[in-house]
Amino acid sequence: MDNILEVRNLTKRFHGLLAIDRVTFALERNQILGLIGPNGAGKTTLVSLVSGTLQPTEGSVLFEGKPIHRLAGFRRALLGIARTFQVMRPFPGLTVLDNVAVGALFGAAGSTRQLAAAREDANRWLHFVGLDHRVRQRADALGGPDRKRLELAKALAMRPKLLLLDEVMAGLNPVEIEEVITVIKKVRDQGISIVVIEHVMKAIQSLSDRLLVLHHGEKIAEGKPQEVLRNDQVIAAYLGSKRR
Amino acid sequence: MQLLWQILVNGVLLGGLYALMALGLVLVWGVLNIVNLAHGALIMLGAYVCYYFFTGLGWDPFAALPVAMSLLFCLGYLIQRWVLNLVIRAPMFNSLLVTFGLEVVITYLAQLLFSADFRTVNPSYAGANFSFFGATVPWVRVLAFGVALALTFALWLFLDHTRIGRAIRATAQNLVAARLYGVNPRQLYALTFGIGAALAGAAGALYGVVSQINPYIGAGLTGKSFAIAIIGGLEKSLYVLVGGLFLGVVEALTALYIGPTYTDVVSFGILVLVLIVRPTGLLGRTA
Amino acid sequence: MKPALKFIFAALVVGGFATVPSWGSAVLVQFGINALILATLAQSWNIIGGYTGYPSFGNSVFYGLGGYGVAIALVQYQLPSAVGLILGVVLAVLFAFLLGLPVLRLRGHYFAIATLGLTEVMTAIVSNLDIAGRNVGLILPLAKGDTLFLELSLALLVVTTLAVAWISRSRFGFGLIAIRENEVAAAVMGVNTTLYKILAFALCAVFSALAGGIHAYWITYLDPGSAFDVSLNVRMIIMAVFGGPGTIFGPALGAFALAAISEILASKITSLASIFFGVVIVVAIIFMPRGVADLAQNFRRFGWRYFQENIKAHRV
Ligand SMILES: Nc1ncnc2c1ncn2[C@@H]1O[C@H](COP(=O)(O)OP(=O)(O)O)[C@@H](O)[C@H]1O
Ligand SMILES: [Mg+2]
Repeated sequence: MDNILEVRNLTKRFHGLLAIDRVTFALERNQILGLIGPNGAGKTTLVSLVSGTLQPTEGSVLFEGKPIHRLAGFRRALLGIARTFQVMRPFPGLTVLDNVAVGALFGAAGSTRQLAAAREDANRWLHFVGLDHRVRQRADALGGPDRKRLELAKALAMRPKLLLLDEVMAGLNPVEIEEVITVIKKVRDQGISIVVIEHVMKAIQSLSDRLLVLHHGEKIAEGKPQEVLRNDQVIAAYLGSKRR
Repeated sequence: MQLLWQILVNGVLLGGLYALMALGLVLVWGVLNIVNLAHGALIMLGAYVCYYFFTGLGWDPFAALPVAMSLLFCLGYLIQRWVLNLVIRAPMFNSLLVTFGLEVVITYLAQLLFSADFRTVNPSYAGANFSFFGATVPWVRVLAFGVALALTFALWLFLDHTRIGRAIRATAQNLVAARLYGVNPRQLYALTFGIGAALAGAAGALYGVVSQINPYIGAGLTGKSFAIAIIGGLEKSLYVLVGGLFLGVVEALTALYIGPTYTDVVSFGILVLVLIVRPTGLLGRTA
Repeated sequence: MKPALKFIFAALVVGGFATVPSWGSAVLVQFGINALILATLAQSWNIIGGYTGYPSFGNSVFYGLGGYGVAIALVQYQLPSAVGLILGVVLAVLFAFLLGLPVLRLRGHYFAIATLGLTEVMTAIVSNLDIAGRNVGLILPLAKGDTLFLELSLALLVVTTLAVAWISRSRFGFGLIAIRENEVAAAVMGVNTTLYKILAFALCAVFSALAGGIHAYWITYLDPGSAFDVSLNVRMIIMAVFGGPGTIFGPALGAFALAAISEILASKITSLASIFFGVVIVVAIIFMPRGVADLAQNFRRFGWRYFQENIKAHRV
């Protein structure tokens, strides 16, 4: 087995609150892992621990077999980890093109270090996610769905080996969701391993090779999508959260 | 030992005044998220109001204090209403620069109007003092200390026990919270800044009684107020009081044991250190 | 304006300054030196404040250390002034590395105030150093004529501006801009934010220290109050912000404009010039917070509405 990512006993505490509680899982190379769970379950926190936006309280994260949980975020980016932000973080004053060019300039080792080449690269990725018509606009002029696409293009331009997508489909209409699903599948076909956080069940079912369910920071289920979604605990967690 | 005791008493008395100086700055910073670089200049104006009422009209400086507060309140209200309200939603750096511009305007207008000469407010009882367990304590300093404490207490009462006060505190959490209390945010901001300025005016009036004044004292006083705000954090007026006393005592001890020219090294050094180690203030809660 | 046109214009300005000694009065030459030094300071502040988004109030420390480098080398050790300039730069860069590390972790108000505090600390420390002449200061040996200083400060401004031009189109500069626009996102995308911020701070230090060194050598007198003057720091910020922070020519332009206007006013009443300066700050931040450069770009499109829109965007 060739695991690109291994998470062992990962724990994150915010003051009193256990946001992630001894979570263990692995992601095989070139697979898509769906990460689901009710709001506040700890999904975003988990992504932040892997990408280096947050440091874990305990436990370890291994990327291609090497521990990375003590590395600064930018070093993980160089190794080949890219993420999107649920609360989008564009560079507001830069053009859409330059937003993506930053990814190409700084991303994983092996991406370009020349500004002109980075902009060319950025153009290609913007085309890939369907944002070509917006390249010259300032990022803060984009609407919600376009910002989601921009987040995706920025991450892709980093040429990652592992892509962490935090709710890139939230707020999109069904047609747009189909488009994004196609894009994600194409990305996987290029050999990139992916973790997807999503609430749209149909999307997550059609994308994921495996599913992992978080609830109150704990892993309550993991496995093939159909099996996991039949699991009583999972259903209870979701219904419980809906009733609240 | 005798000297140390005297120094400590001086430090505490000065610290009370320091706390009052910082109180208005902390209020405005905590509630409006405006770092008011003109705060010291407002203190300076308060001192001049007191000076002119004392020399021109022969008023007792402590009687002139309410006048200074009222005038400064009006000035502060107008500044917020017609200048700072226009930049309150801009990046913090913009309002910082605007308050610096105000500081420059106020300082040099003062220089033009009042001249750059040093002034003193010397009431007849300035020299009166008493002995406190062996330390010589001037009455004016005790009086100034008492007024500073009383105003700190009054602000606390106001913020905790009146509707407007609660609206101001809610604004610290959320800029438009004033609406929930049926208050127009524009007016509430102006009111808050006005109160901050009035406190600066009071501090200035007291400062004029215990020290010399000229138009340029503002910048240094802003710096001291910052140090206290950072030591005490932005949350409680009680903490500001502790911060003020702490700074007063530390400065007094520095002057005694290291040398009077080192007080600024120590007070600003503490400011920087606290910022680096605990940006939310020594007494504030952790981030 | 097209970039090519801008560079031609810049070349004309440089040429104009370079020839001032041959046609201008002594007063004009002196004004020129002052304006060039201020423009250099505004331009180097632009690197940390304009491009990186860290509003430093500590740049006057670099300026002061540059001045003291020259003064100490000349007065205490009778070394050549070039050695003094280098000494000043080394001191300033050391300061940038040692204190940049902890201070650049702070954001917003806290960064601004910490750097302000550092300036005060440095003033107070230097006032107690024998080697720096304590609070009396140092008197430097009289140097050669003003022409030399005009050429020196002009060369320094050109080099600083070239550095900024390079930053604006390099990978390094893109990293700085990314930090300014969103530091968390920049780090996740692979920018070594700590290193980049410190390098930007150190680059500021080099140019500001050189400006301070040249100025001290020219004025032949230095004391802690004038060397670490906080209001000088604010002046450079205002000039940069007025001209257009994060642009190549804006800060220098802003410096020339504001220096000229306050020079004219100061010839009437000194405090009037300062009051004018204060009013300009307030009015400019309210009506054109992104500086003249942005105004020039957008005024044609929006007309007078440009000012209204700026106010509407930020008032309560
Ligand atoms: N920076 C933080 N500080 C304190 N608590 C946090 C922070 N980030 C997240 N939390 C808390 O951790 C829990 C998990 O949040 P999150 O990971 O965002 O959940 P999800 O993405 O699954 O909705 C929530 O209770 C949230 O309030
Ligand atoms: Mg989330």
